[in-house]
Amino acid sequence: MSDSVVRFSVRQRLEHLTVMVLFVLLAVTGFPQKFYDAGWAGTVVDALGGVPRVRWLHRAAGLLFVALTGWHLALAVATAATKRVPLSMVPTRRDFRDVVTSLRYYLRLSERQPRFDRFDYREKFEYWGLIIGALVMSATGLLLLFPILVATYLPGELIPVAKVAHSNEGLMAFLVVLTWHLYNAHLAPGVFPFNPTIFTGRISRAHLREHHPLEYERLFPIEALARAREVRPDGPPPAAVEEKASPPAARDA
Amino acid sequence: MDLLALVLPLLAVAPAAAQDANDACLACHADAALTLTLPSGQVRSMTVNGAVFAGSVHGPRLACTDCHPGHQDYPHPERTYRTLAEYRAPFREACKSCHFENYTRMVDSVHYKLLPQGDPRAPSCSDCHGAHDVSPPGQPRAALSRTCAQCHRGVFDTYAKSVHGQALLERQSADVPVCTDCHRSHAVGGPHDAAWLLQSPQLCGNCHADEKKMAPYGLSTRVLKTYLADFHGMSASLSRAERPQEARLTALCTDCHGVHDIARVDDPGSRVVKANLVKTCRRCHEGASESFPAAWLSHYEPSLKRAPLVFMVQAFYWVFIPFVIGGLVLQIVLHFWRLVVNR
Repeated sequence: MSDSVVRFSVRQRLEHLTVMVLFVLLAVTGFPQKFYDAGWAGTVVDALGGVPRVRWLHRAAGLLFVALTGWHLALAVATAATKRVPLSMVPTRRDFRDVVTSLRYYLRLSERQPRFDRFDYREKFEYWGLIIGALVMSATGLLLLFPILVATYLPGELIPVAKVAHSNEGLMAFLVVLTWHLYNAHLAPGVFPFNPTIFTGRISRAHLREHHPLEYERLFPIEALARAREVRPDGPPPAAVEEKASPPAARDA
Repeated sequence: MDLLALVLPLLAVAPAAAQDANDACLACHADAALTLTLPSGQVRSMTVNGAVFAGSVHGPRLACTDCHPGHQDYPHPERTYRTLAEYRAPFREACKSCHFENYTRMVDSVHYKLLPQGDPRAPSCSDCHGAHDVSPPGQPRAALSRTCAQCHRGVFDTYAKSVHGQALLERQSADVPVCTDCHRSHAVGGPHDAAWLLQSPQLCGNCHADEKKMAPYGLSTRVLKTYLADFHGMSASLSRAERPQEARLTALCTDCHGVHDIARVDDPGSRVVKANLVKTCRRCHEGASESFPAAWLSHYEPSLKRAPLVFMVQAFYWVFIPFVIGGLVLQIVLHFWRLVVNR
């Protein structure tokens, strides 16, 4: 029995890798344009070989990002429509309860911690943040890339609107990655220095048990039950195992 | 200036002696018929008006031979000038010995660059300042622009009709730029110089972003800031003269407002008045539609009155970004704090 479980498919790993590279490239070529009067902006542009090249890189990376977003969404819709995978990224009422439980735990109002399934609310927040952000960035970026075409069919004022939205949304995305993603994937105790799962595609059984107990119990119900008895030999099995609405096999299929 | 301060007192102690020597020169050179015919066929008058020289800034200070060294004795040594340009060239060096700072500036000018190309039109000091009749520059101010007009007639005529030129020539305004305010006086630069071109928004901003200077005319001083904040200004800020292809990358002030023909923005002939704006945009943005100029906020900062949609999107993010990032950071801090407490 392997000690680790496949968490991400090769396609998902490649998508993350691509989005990571494009995100960095877009930030490096985008922020000097937003903060044009800062000293470092000029340094970056000079290092990359001038304004036209920076702009070309930004647009090329942007178009690839648009393509990646389109590809990901099309595939997600297609697989969801054919119901070949469970929609484990869709936020549920449980996620909102988990946020409250977490906050109560952090504030020491309660000692109860939420028990997460395949994706916890933090991961879902970041995923949907990225999707919505990608849609905003793609739409506004395309408006800015084709201003003459846009103004032929739509009011010209949309172009400065797109500029303001593109610039701010980009800054927000960068700040979310800098805080939320950096903490949860790198700096948080227990994760530090970094969580390799998105690159290797595998998660260790111990990590799965710790961070995604509901998924663990679903994947390894007998082992989970045995461990629960071992920990508390006289007590009843953990509530979560009994609480589950549907049998594990049905949800996994 | 330091050099001048050192030299001037020395010269001043001997004005009488200089005057005597100058009188000796004028004994011949006061003759109105005295000319020099060069091998090129060009004829140069050798007449000097003693009274004019005495009334010039140099009159009380310099002897003829200070600028004409080697002519102390008569007959003068033989010279081998072939053309008028060759004859005049050494006088540039004559000014250098006192006016070294301005000489070095002049070396950086477009005028000086014409010299090695053998361009006979390359002006020397005396073409602008005069030779024996040197007077303090800028008195009156319009004289500066009229000096340039001696060669740059076409440009001057255009300038004379512009909002700046009219104010200078008709109302003797001290606020508007004369040629040298934009092109500099000694290190004369122009649009063929990428560095000069790329700093031109700052040049316009020197006056147009100055609250005191603009107040009497009721002109907005935010024009520079709003230009820089937009796509054009941002591109100009990041462009470098060392990469010459970037000098013409983006629209500078002059690309929309004109150069020597700048008009008031409410002048029906202005390139930026609403009726003409789309035509101005099309100079770069080929095929721009009638609604395209609305993409430019006309130097207005977005507000509920001007570009309300832009303003509202900006306002949304002003609130939304701190809310999101603040919330996330708070959760991170709380999470970390709880883990520390657990230990």
